[in-house]
Amino acid sequence: MQKESYRLSGEARGGYNPPAMTELPLAGIRVCDLTWVIAGPTATRILADFGAEVIRVEHGQAADPIRFGRPIAGEKPTLNNSGFFNYFNRNKKSVLLNVRHPLGMEVLHRLIRVSDVVIENFSSGVLESWGLDYAAQRAINPGVIYCSISGFGHTGRDRHFTTWGPTAQALSGLTLMSGLPGKPPAGWGYSYLDHTAGYYAAIAVMMALHHRNVTGEGQAIDIAQVETGMVLTGPAVLDYEVNGRSWLREEMPPGNRAWEPRTAPHNTYRCAGEDRWVAIAVRNDAEWEAMRRAMGEPGWAAEAKFATNAGRLEHEDELDAGIEAWTRERDAYDVMAVLQAAGVPAGVCQTAGDRVERDPQLRARGWWTTMPHAELGESGFDGVAPRLHRTPGTNRTPSPLMGEHTYEVMTGTLGMTPEEYAELEGLGVFM
Amino acid sequence: MSGPLAGLRVLERCGLMGQYAGKLLADMGADVVKVEPPEGSEARQVGPFVDDVPGPNRSLNFWYFNTNKRSVVLDFTEEGDRATWLALARAADIVVDDGRPGELEKLGLGYGAAGEGNPGLIWCAVTGFGQDGPWAQYATADLVSLALGGPMMMNGYDPEDAPGAPPIRGHGDQAYLTGCHYAVQGVLAALLWRDRTGEGQFIDCSVHEAVSSTTEVALPYWFTKRVDVVRQTGRHAAASRTERWLYRAGDGRWALIFGVGRDNASWKRIKEWFQSEGFGLQFDEERFDDPLNRQAGRGSAEAAEISAELERFIAAHPAEAVYRGGQERRQAWGVVRSPEENLADPHWSDRGFWAAAEGEGREGRPVRMPGAPYRFSATPWELRRPAPKLGEHTAEVLAEWLGRET
Repeated sequence: MQKESYRLSGEARGGYNPPAMTELPLAGIRVCDLTWVIAGPTATRILADFGAEVIRVEHGQAADPIRFGRPIAGEKPTLNNSGFFNYFNRNKKSVLLNVRHPLGMEVLHRLIRVSDVVIENFSSGVLESWGLDYAAQRAINPGVIYCSISGFGHTGRDRHFTTWGPTAQALSGLTLMSGLPGKPPAGWGYSYLDHTAGYYAAIAVMMALHHRNVTGEGQAIDIAQVETGMVLTGPAVLDYEVNGRSWLREEMPPGNRAWEPRTAPHNTYRCAGEDRWVAIAVRNDAEWEAMRRAMGEPGWAAEAKFATNAGRLEHEDELDAGIEAWTRERDAYDVMAVLQAAGVPAGVCQTAGDRVERDPQLRARGWWTTMPHAELGESGFDGVAPRLHRTPGTNRTPSPLMGEHTYEVMTGTLGMTPEEYAELEGLGVFM
Repeated sequence: MSGPLAGLRVLERCGLMGQYAGKLLADMGADVVKVEPPEGSEARQVGPFVDDVPGPNRSLNFWYFNTNKRSVVLDFTEEGDRATWLALARAADIVVDDGRPGELEKLGLGYGAAGEGNPGLIWCAVTGFGQDGPWAQYATADLVSLALGGPMMMNGYDPEDAPGAPPIRGHGDQAYLTGCHYAVQGVLAALLWRDRTGEGQFIDCSVHEAVSSTTEVALPYWFTKRVDVVRQTGRHAAASRTERWLYRAGDGRWALIFGVGRDNASWKRIKEWFQSEGFGLQFDEERFDDPLNRQAGRGSAEAAEISAELERFIAAHPAEAVYRGGQERRQAWGVVRSPEENLADPHWSDRGFWAAAEGEGREGRPVRMPGAPYRFSATPWELRRPAPKLGEHTAEVLAEWLGRET
């Protein structure tokens, strides 16, 4: 792993310390971050990467469960040793606030007053029960942008239903669209829609910020996690609406073979070693011809029935078996290199370890870095995917310790005197 | 036009990889002009087609991913059309291009040339692997990006369900869609910078990096423990094997069970439901009262009994009834639906989720498709026009953007 050598002092960790002398595109934007688990923190990670001041409002009595989430450093969770939490919460601040205390709720109102964005991913109705629906927030801060992520949204008859990522993936259709025919759904081996709901929230907030720049007007944004999966299935829905075809029919889902466009070969093939695979996606006859040569022109591949896409589809089992006979004795990265040199789309099925330790592209692009964390040590991170050449997003601080910035935010951002802070602390407001 | 991006001009030159970025901008009010070669974008050749009859205006993939755009045909082998491209790029606020790195620069039609006369221009290049590095010129496909980026090694089967099964790809061009989510994030961050300073910039968006940042616990496990998580049937990949989440229902469909009565209040609701139908009669015994005893994965006899009763209960009910019954008792349970089954779920209609559009072969008979991923109170998502026919707006756009009369 490449390491950045800069170190942050304890004092500087709450402040901004961009490693390069660039300005950040969202500098000056303050986010009152009421999110937890993954979807909400994904959204605020993006805003923070681009320079927004993201203030996580945390609660000692109801801590973000991801603060206990594995993997952790050591044996027991401490609230501050989760690598899972660290990954999703870089570049943010953390304040402890007891919102069940009336004075704690008052402090939250003060924070909302000085924030550009309020974002949460509780079940729908929770913020309303705090007395903080959009109308109430607007009364505190007329230009506020309020973004909510919930399972089913704030309207509709099932709005009280709840989701985790896998629930939303199952309902949206995405789980069914992943698997081998005749087998149970393979689905997604992680909460793809926690990422995706977070992406839509970050996109929505930035769109609303632009609109506010133009007009001065804030607004409320209602995101239903299931819908953020449904929008990723458009052609499948249209195939049913227009042609009456469902993904529930025989032979669907087609495993790693192509759905549309129907081309072959298009599959994963076993390579040398344990559980090593290469994905190959030939898109046309010219690429097949290039692949045939790259394989050393085996006799079977020269048969006329494989010369056209239609023929290859008709004889797909035989085609895939012939290709696998070639790949299974070879290293997956070698297969990829040989085929890519011939212009054929091919790639190793990479694990996280492969990506970090072996992937030459990510390494050459300086994708990996570490930042020192009090309990995780030199903790690993990836970069910021859309690379803005003039004002790139940056890695500045690892995830905040629980309540690390309470004093700083209360006395700095909210302008409390040390005496006022001490008084509220004594009353149990910052816990 | 009412979206938050109203008034912004976007020039899009994209096929399957980048077209969703243009849609996300267009659906929120931007004036997105799609520049296509005379034979049309590659997406126009991708099925399914209306009534299974191919044709440039009959691709349902194109219908979905190109809503609210206008189509202009330019032939880059013609000098005049190349000049028109540059003029359009200089008149644009944003360009989104998914060509190979350097492809347009070589023709003198890239960011360097377009940015000269337009310092506020935001140019987003969506590519498989980014603008530089040893794989920059490699070819990709959605399957290949999902393999290299990491999702596939997290999706698949327990060995007893499918011995020797490969890692599995989720369908629907999800790597490309993820790349576009990141491309749009980049465009908007650059737009907010431009709002303050007037400065545009170039954005290098790699699908490989976008997908690699979309693998949840995989990277934290490697960073923290140097462990690769292992794929399992229909549930999260994990460092060691975990309990099943999918149960086969009475109608042959799959219910997704995400925890059973974790706290005592929800356990009471579940218990009463099961017992009202003659299942789990032993649940009244004291040994089930301790939430720790009930936790799957702790290996207790009680957890195993609950799992067995759950399996029997679900096998006696349709999956949709399990889903709704669980949710009504505050369990975040689900049902594995096919995408179109949501058309019949009234909750989404209550929210006005579906959009409807006409097109070739369905004139006067609009068909439904997914609508807004977000609801904005002041500047809502809106379907203003269906996906354009090939070259439908060439003259109109050249007149509006460049003042050219034909």
